[in-house]
This record gives sequence, C-alpha cells and structure tokens, in this order.
Amino acid sequence: MAQTAEHTEAHVLLAGESVRNESDGSVRLVGGRCDDCGTLFFPSAHVCPECMSEAVAAADLANDGTLYSWSVVHVAPRGWNTPYIAGYVDLSDGIRVFAHVTGTDASLLEMDMAVSLTTAILGDDDGVPVESYAFTPVKG
Amino acid sequence: MREVSVIGVGITPFAKYRDKTLADIGWPAVKAAIEDAGVEKKDIEAAYCGSALGGMMSGQRVMKQLGITGLPITNIENACSSSSSAFRQAYISVAAGVYDVALVMGVEKLTKFGGGTLPLEKEDFEVTHGLVMPALYGMRARRYMHDYGLTEEQLAGVAVKAHKHGALNPEAQFRNEVTLDEVMNARQIAEPFTLLHCCPSGDGASAVVIASAEKARQYTTSPVRVACSEVNSGKYMTGFRDMTTPEITVRGAKQAYEEAGIGPDDVDVAEVHDAFTIAELLYYEALGFCDKGDAAKLLEDGETSLGGRIPVNPSGGLLSKGHPIGATGTAQIAEVVRQLRGECGDRQVDGAKVGLTHCTGGGISGFDHGACSIHIFSV
Repeated sequence: MAQTAEHTEAHVLLAGESVRNESDGSVRLVGGRCDDCGTLFFPSAHVCPECMSEAVAAADLANDGTLYSWSVVHVAPRGWNTPYIAGYVDLSDGIRVFAHVTGTDASLLEMDMAVSLTTAILGDDDGVPVESYAFTPVKG
Repeated sequence: MREVSVIGVGITPFAKYRDKTLADIGWPAVKAAIEDAGVEKKDIEAAYCGSALGGMMSGQRVMKQLGITGLPITNIENACSSSSSAFRQAYISVAAGVYDVALVMGVEKLTKFGGGTLPLEKEDFEVTHGLVMPALYGMRARRYMHDYGLTEEQLAGVAVKAHKHGALNPEAQFRNEVTLDEVMNARQIAEPFTLLHCCPSGDGASAVVIASAEKARQYTTSPVRVACSEVNSGKYMTGFRDMTTPEITVRGAKQAYEEAGIGPDDVDVAEVHDAFTIAELLYYEALGFCDKGDAAKLLEDGETSLGGRIPVNPSGGLLSKGHPIGATGTAQIAEVVRQLRGECGDRQVDGAKVGLTHCTGGGISGFDHGACSIHIFSV
C-alpha cells in the first residue's frame, strides 16, 4: 500500500507539469484549455485536439470526482509498489483521469463513490521514491 | 475494385521460442502458406508484414530466410491489429489491380522481454502512471459486472470455453482443458482477473497468400472470398466514456456488415480478440451476436461453443491458442479460412460458409482501442 508523500526528501515526480503543489501542501491537477474553442483536456498538450489551435493555456482541474472503475494490480513492471489499485476517476468538470487509488482497502471501494485528489508514493526508481497524484475515498 | 480470395494459409504454432530469432519464428509460417497456396516464390508480387515489437525490417528478416527478396515488402505496426491491418493493405493493393498475388504475415517474439505484462509505450501518460493491459481490461470487467450483473463465475466461464476449444487445436499454445475452479483460483494478475483470464505471452507467426479471384482459380479449387476488409482507429476522448461498449468494434462491425452485405445472424464462425475474458463477452454484443447485457447468457447457453449457434474462437482464441501480438490477426484469418474449407477436424464448425475475424489493438491513453480490424470471409 502506498504511503502519504513526504515532501522533505528527493522524489521522482511522475506527473511533472500536470500537477501543481500548493503552499498548503495540497495539490492540483493541471490540464489544458483551448483559448479558441474552450475544450478542456488532460494531460495538457501544445495543440488543441478539437480545433488544432496552439493557444492552449494551463487550466486547473477539479480535485473531486467519482470512481468509474478500478482494478487491484498484482503484476506490473518493476518499480511499482504492488499490489496497487488502478482506477479511472471522473472529475466533476467532465475529465476522466487515470490514477492510483490510495489510502483505502480495495474491499471498501464502491462503484461511483466520491474520491478526492491526494498524492502518494507509488513505487521507486532505483531506490528513489516515485511520487504522483492519486485519489482517495472521501471519508464519511 | 476486384474480388479477392485467400488461397493459402500457414502458422508457426504459438509457443515460447526463446532460442529462435524472429526470422526463424517467421519463415515456417510463410513457407507453409506458400505451399498451401501452391504458388511459386516468383509469383508473389508484394509482401506485407505485421509486427508490433519485432523491430526494424521484420518482414525482410523473415523473407530473406526463404530467398524471397527484391519485391516490395512493407512493415506495418498497429499493436495487436498489426497483421490484420497488413492484410487490409495487401487486400487493397490486389483489389485495386496493383498486384495479382500478395503475401501477408504476422510475426512476434515476446519472450525477448522475459515475461510479465506487455511492454507499452513509455511516452504515454497513463502508461507512465502504471496502466497495464490487464488493469485496463480489469476495469472494463468491473464496470460491466456492476452495470449488467455479470458474476465472477460467468466471467471465468469464458476461459473454460476457450481452453475446451484450444484442447482440440494441435497448434494452440495451451491444449489443456481447465475447470472453473482452476480459473478462479489461479494467481491474481489484475482483479478480477487471475492468470487464466489473461492471454499468455508467447512467440509465433502466421501467413496468408491472397490473389485476385480470377488469378486464384489458377491455383486452387477452394478459394475463400474476402467479403469485406475494414480497419479503424479509435476516437480520442478526454471525457467520460462507457467502457462496457467497445465503440471502435461497434462502429467497425456496422461498416463490415454493410460492406459484406450481411448481418450478424449470417456469421457461422468468428475469431474475436479475447485478450482477456471480459473482452470476448463485450465483443459478442459489439458484433451483434446478442443484445447488450446478454453476453453471459449467450455463453452459458453454449451458443458460442462448438455445436452452438455461433461458435466463437474455435481455435481456442487468444486465451488458449496464444497471442504473439503482431501474429494474431493473420492467425485468426488462417483459422477462419481453414474452417470455411472444412479442414479443422475435431474443432470444425459444421457447414461454415461465412466467417468473421476481429482484432483490436490498444494500450494508449484516451482511446477505447487504438485500432480495430474486422474481416469477413465466405465460400
């Protein structure tokens, strides 16, 4: 099971520009929004997949959503902490994001349950912790 | 466009050939197809080779072993749909009158990766975050189970059926029957899948010789007509999508049936892309063999088993026959051609006149699947 990320040591940050760390320790997912046609997408890109405009600006995504589906992964390439829960999260702004689901036992997961954004250590790269965004069930 | 026929097929049985090169895995299938077709080496005007991970010049590496060089050889990569996509390119060239006789092959050596899940493109965002193919299909399965009441026992039944067929196929990678308990109690891969819900990794090759219908009559009295040839790419979607409906297959099937001038009820036998158990059930529905939500019943009623209304994957499918990615498309075609020629022995679908092959390729973000190829054949 992945642990809550510590921000005091060296990490490999997987999501790069797709995640922004906030001053209060929380994170935001950052996608792209086309200035010309308004299409929102994630991860961001240098060109809009709808209208091919190159006027794409960074856009914060919702940090809450629902769990569309998940799978507990027991066999994965080297480096991942297995088993892990892979899921698709449907954000409240209409974007579907692939994410690890952390901070819960898989037996407690339910279809379409509310989840919120967090970060987690997901594996290691030659001993250096690999950190990225993840989603965790909303308590209560 | 001219009518096109398949006149020869060949297979290098799917297995683990760790000590063989890709070229040495490939040539036996090509030689077998050429001999089956009864063509001379010099009659082959062009060759198309599908391989997903074979590396540069896979086709040339195979063909030089047989001394068939100097002709146009084109290598095609479309993930699991590589050789079915190659088949379409060969079909177009013959149908258009550019060539009279062309060869298509698929070849793959996955043992070079040492095992584990299929290596996916590392530039892909979801892959960098730990998406593996079993998890992707596992999420489809979980959602389908929730939406349509599919049980784990029913899902495991797909593997039981696949192995029952594969046990009758001397060229299958797995030729053993398995019980429901064995499927459900095998080691976990990506829930709800155990190992036996997943196609095996392996090596192999397959090849097909096609000719214009007119030219085909010079070589054989039993040509198999290509009734339609279709390849699509998936639609990129960043928003929500229904993972219980493989849109690319639904779209492709509609096109394929229209092109062939038939409907799903006219199909006597089908080879579909059962990379994981759930896939076969989704494709029963997407190909129109049953209504949405009825796939488990179709399976349980024995309709997709040998002797049923629409036998699916008599070869054993990817789950039992094996799935050396790029080799699968033309291997499916080889199976259907043999079925339509009545050559399949214990796994023969009696009186099969119309056969369908369906091959998808995925593994990148934002698509249901990256590619899907559907072919219909008839005699």
